[in-house]
Amino acid sequence: MTANPITASRRHYEDLVLGEVIDLGQTLVTRNIIIGFAQEFDPLPFHLDETAAKASLLGGLASSGWQTAALTLRLLGDSFLTRIASMGGLGFSDLKWKKPVMVGDTISGTATLSALRRSRHHPERGIVTIDLDIRNQRGEPVMTMRLANLVELRDPGLPLEAAQ
Amino acid sequence: MTRWFEDIVIDELFDLGSHHFTEDEIIRFGRLYDPQYFHIDPEAARHSHFGGLVASGWHTVSIGHRHMVDALDAEGERLRGLGEEPGVSGPSPGVNRMDFKAPVRPGDTVHYTLKVTAKRQSASIPGWGLLFNTIEATNQHGELVYHAELVGFSKLRDYRMPLRVRLVMALTRIPVLGKLLASANR
Repeated sequence: MTANPITASRRHYEDLVLGEVIDLGQTLVTRNIIIGFAQEFDPLPFHLDETAAKASLLGGLASSGWQTAALTLRLLGDSFLTRIASMGGLGFSDLKWKKPVMVGDTISGTATLSALRRSRHHPERGIVTIDLDIRNQRGEPVMTMRLANLVELRDPGLPLEAAQ
Repeated sequence: MTRWFEDIVIDELFDLGSHHFTEDEIIRFGRLYDPQYFHIDPEAARHSHFGGLVASGWHTVSIGHRHMVDALDAEGERLRGLGEEPGVSGPSPGVNRMDFKAPVRPGDTVHYTLKVTAKRQSASIPGWGLLFNTIEATNQHGELVYHAELVGFSKLRDYRMPLRVRLVMALTRIPVLGKLLASANR
């Protein structure tokens, strides 16, 4: 297999460090961002209309939980996934929406590399587990989840144990 | 579904419909939320193990969510058409697991289904029940695209607070007794 020219200069599986913490930076959740996402993916009154939102359980215009996840993914992409030899996500688990993200909130957070293992069937692939902790501007947790992402090995010939 | 908690039938399969993914929308979602090269650049994507452009898993999932929201609305309309009052669904507390099984490529058509696999009354929010939902997405070749296990809320139709709770609430409305009960609860 020839080396991938797109990812050749990026960090590979062997370069990732267990316990490494990545600062995700921050993003402002505006009215336009909330309504734009809701119109396409989650057209519920409390994501679309300020008056209806005030009367709802959430008490005001709030971001779709899926949008909070998508904005988090963007932060993770900019700070980590586009800088490593990522091969895409395998999925996620334990996604918890802990508190609504309201219009005008700024969300930020960290990604912690909580596990690193080799793929059993594909020697050229490693799997990194990423724990995400997302908070609002008051430091209150709004979302947590655990992602599994595939990463290229620079040296697929490495024995399974040696690359750990 | 927008049904009362009591009316939700375990393992009843709901067809949420299909979505045709175009290259343009895959790239648009990727640029906004998941700008990895195999989601935004068809040329560069050829070097990836996918061998070409693929949709972000989060895009496929977001479209699936839209189909579920539309199905809830349709079920509500169906019940209104029968002269019944539809139930109320609440916000989701989270997703237990989401497994991306096969990539979605431009031109693929993805079909979504929903099934409630278990339900129980909420211990923390009186009057509401928890639903354990499974959503599955398959492509036009019948391959599983993703499998998701999500949690949702649905309102109970016949909820009546327990007698003990109603009695305490009534007693706390008597000023002197209310103070006494509040201090006794400290």
